[in-house]
Amino acid sequence: MDLLDGFGTVLTAQNLLYAAVGVTIGTLVGVLPGIGPALTIALLLPVALRLDDPTGTLIMFAGIYAGAMYGGSTTSILLNTPGESASVATSIEGYQMARRGRARAALATAAIGSFVAGTISTVLLTFVAAPMASLAVTFRASDYFALAVLAMVTVTAMVGNSIVRGLMSLTFGLFLGLVGIDSLTGQARFTFGVPELLDGIDVVTIIIGLFAVGETLYIASRLRDLPATVAPLEPPGRGFAWLSRSDWSRSWRPWLRGTALGFPFGALPSGGAEIPTFLSYTIERRRSKHQQEWGKGAIEGVAGPEAANNASFSGVLVPLLTLGIPTSATAAVMLAAFSYFDLSPGPQLFEKSPDLVWGLIASLFIGNVLLLALNLPMIRIWVKVLQIPRPLLYTGILVFATLGVYAVSGSIVDVFIALAIGVVAMFMRHLEFPVAPVILGVILGPMMEIQFRRALLLSDNDLTIFVRRPLTLILLLLAVAALGLPHLPRLIARVRGRGGAQRLAFGDED
Amino acid sequence: MSSATPEEADVGGAAPEAATAGSGPLVAGALLLAAGIALLWQAVGTGIDNGVTLGGPTLAPIIVTGLWVAVALSYLIGELRKRGWRIRRAGPAAGSAWLMPVLLLVAIAGYAVVLKYTVVGYVLSTAAFILLCARLLSTRPLREVIVRDLVTAVALALTIYLVFTRLLGIALPAGVLPL
Repeated sequence: MDLLDGFGTVLTAQNLLYAAVGVTIGTLVGVLPGIGPALTIALLLPVALRLDDPTGTLIMFAGIYAGAMYGGSTTSILLNTPGESASVATSIEGYQMARRGRARAALATAAIGSFVAGTISTVLLTFVAAPMASLAVTFRASDYFALAVLAMVTVTAMVGNSIVRGLMSLTFGLFLGLVGIDSLTGQARFTFGVPELLDGIDVVTIIIGLFAVGETLYIASRLRDLPATVAPLEPPGRGFAWLSRSDWSRSWRPWLRGTALGFPFGALPSGGAEIPTFLSYTIERRRSKHQQEWGKGAIEGVAGPEAANNASFSGVLVPLLTLGIPTSATAAVMLAAFSYFDLSPGPQLFEKSPDLVWGLIASLFIGNVLLLALNLPMIRIWVKVLQIPRPLLYTGILVFATLGVYAVSGSIVDVFIALAIGVVAMFMRHLEFPVAPVILGVILGPMMEIQFRRALLLSDNDLTIFVRRPLTLILLLLAVAALGLPHLPRLIARVRGRGGAQRLAFGDED
Repeated sequence: MSSATPEEADVGGAAPEAATAGSGPLVAGALLLAAGIALLWQAVGTGIDNGVTLGGPTLAPIIVTGLWVAVALSYLIGELRKRGWRIRRAGPAAGSAWLMPVLLLVAIAGYAVVLKYTVVGYVLSTAAFILLCARLLSTRPLREVIVRDLVTAVALALTIYLVFTRLLGIALPAGVLPL
C-alpha cells in the first residue's frame, strides 16, 4: 500500500520530469570521465534549494545516482576508462568484447542486466526498508555512534589498497568536519581567526574542491600520460536487443547472481559497489564454461559485475533512508541534501515524510525503465558524448565548480578553500590516497561525535555504555573485524584477476 | 564507428597508477606529520585552557589530531622502510608537470576575484576563463581549436547566465553587458 502511494506521488508530470532529468544527467556524468554522481549532486544542491521541492529534488538525485551506474558501463566498454569506480570490473571483459566487434552485445548485457538488477533490488528495498526502519527506532545514541564507526572503518579500509592511506584520508575528513563552532557548546574549533570558518566548511565546497578542482589539477599535471581511444560501435547484428540466443542464455544467471551480491553489499557499510562487482567478476570467471574467452571478452564478465553494480545502489539506500548512515561518497552527499531540506533520514523519516520515502522508492522503478530506454536506443548519442574534447570538458567542470561555490554563496573565501582542498586532492591522487573517506569523515565525524556525547550524557559519563549494550558492542567488534576485510578482495583479485588489487584503489568518487 | 583524436583524448581518463617514485611520498609524509603536530599542539592547548572532559568540545579535536599524527608517522616510516631509508631525487620531468596546475589555480583564483570585485560581469569573465583554461589544457595548436573554443565559451557562458538568472532566479553579475 505504501509503495502504491509512492507511485501516486511519482506519477505526476512534475516528478516524472524530475526523474527523467535525473537519469539523463546521471547517464551523462556516468559516461563522462572526471565527473561523478557525488560531484554532480553537490553542484546541483544550491540549485535544488531554489526549487524548494524536496521530494522532486531527491527523486532527481536518486536518478542521477542510478543513471551514473548505467552510464559508467558505456565508458568502461567503449573507452576502457571507467567513468566511475564501480564500473572497473566491467571494463576488463567489456572493452575486450568491444575490441572484437561485440560492443553492442556488451552494452546490451550491461544495460539489461542493470535493469534486471535494479528492478529486483528495488523490490528488495521495498520489503526491507520499512521493517529496518521499525528496527531502527530501537537504536540508541551509543548504537548510532558504533554504526558510524563501523561505516567509517569499513569504507576507509576498503576503498584504497593501503589502510594507512585510507586512514589518513579519513582523518583529514574528520578534521575538516571539526572546523567551526561546536554545535553543543558554541566553542570555536580550528577556525584560525577566520570569521568565515565559524560556520564550518560547507560540504559542497569540500566536494567541489576534492572532485572538481582536484581532478582537473591532477589531469593538468599529467597532460600527455593518458592515451585513450573510443572502440568502434559495430552495425547491429541479429538477435533480440543486440543479444543472440547464446548471449541471453549466458547472461541471465550472472545477472541474478550479481544482484544477489550487489544488494547486501550495498546495504552493508562496505563502500558501495566496488567489492560486489569484483566478487561477481571472480565468481563468474570461476563458474564459466568458456574459460578460453576470459581476458578476450567473456560476456559473463560484463553481465555479472554490471548487475552487482546496480543492485548495490538500492542496497546503499537501505542504511541511508532507515538509519541516516551513508556508505558511499554519493550517499554522503545525498545525506547532505536531506539536511539542506531540514529532513533527517532515519526511522522518523518513514513516519514524518512517507510521501517522500515511498515516492523516492517508486521513482527507482520508473527510473530503471527510463534508463533502459535511454541507454540502448540512444547509444550513439552517448558515444558522441565520449568524444567531447577533454580540454573543454575539464574547463566546463571548473566553470560549474566555481559557479557552485562562488555564485551561490558569494564568498570568495569559499572559493579559496575549495582551491586549497583541490590542491590537497591533486596530491592525494598522485600519492594514491583514496578520496571517498574524506567525504565520509566530514559527514560521519560530526554525527559520531554528537552521538558519542549524547550517549555519555544519558549514561552520566559512564564509558561502559559502549560495551554494556549488546548491539553497540557487536557493531564495534564488527568495526575491528572490518579492518582485516580489505585483504579478501585483494587476495581474490591476485589469485583470479589481472592486477585487480591495484584497480580497486582507483576512482572512488561515487 | 569513430575514435577520439589522440591529441584531445589524451587528457581524459583513468589513472592507471600514480607515480609514487622519487621523494614525493617522503615530502608528503613529513608535511603531514608537521601539520598534524601543529594541529595537535593547538588542540591540546585549547584543551588545557578550557579543560578536557569526556562529553566536552575539546576531546574530539585532540583525538582526531592525535590520530592524524599517528597515521602520518606510520605513513612516513612505511615510505622510509620501502626505500631502505634512502631519499631519492624526483625525475627531471617532475618540475615541468607542476606548471600547468599552478597556472590553472591562478586562473580560477583570478576568475573569482574578477567576478567578485570588478564590473566585468559573469558572461564576459566566464567566456574569457573558458578560453584560457581550454588553452592551458589543450595540446593542439591554437589555430585548430580557436573557433570551436570561442563558440563554446560564448554559448556556455550565455546559457549558464540566462538559465540561472531567468529560470532559477539566482543572481549573477550582469556587468558591462546590457543583459
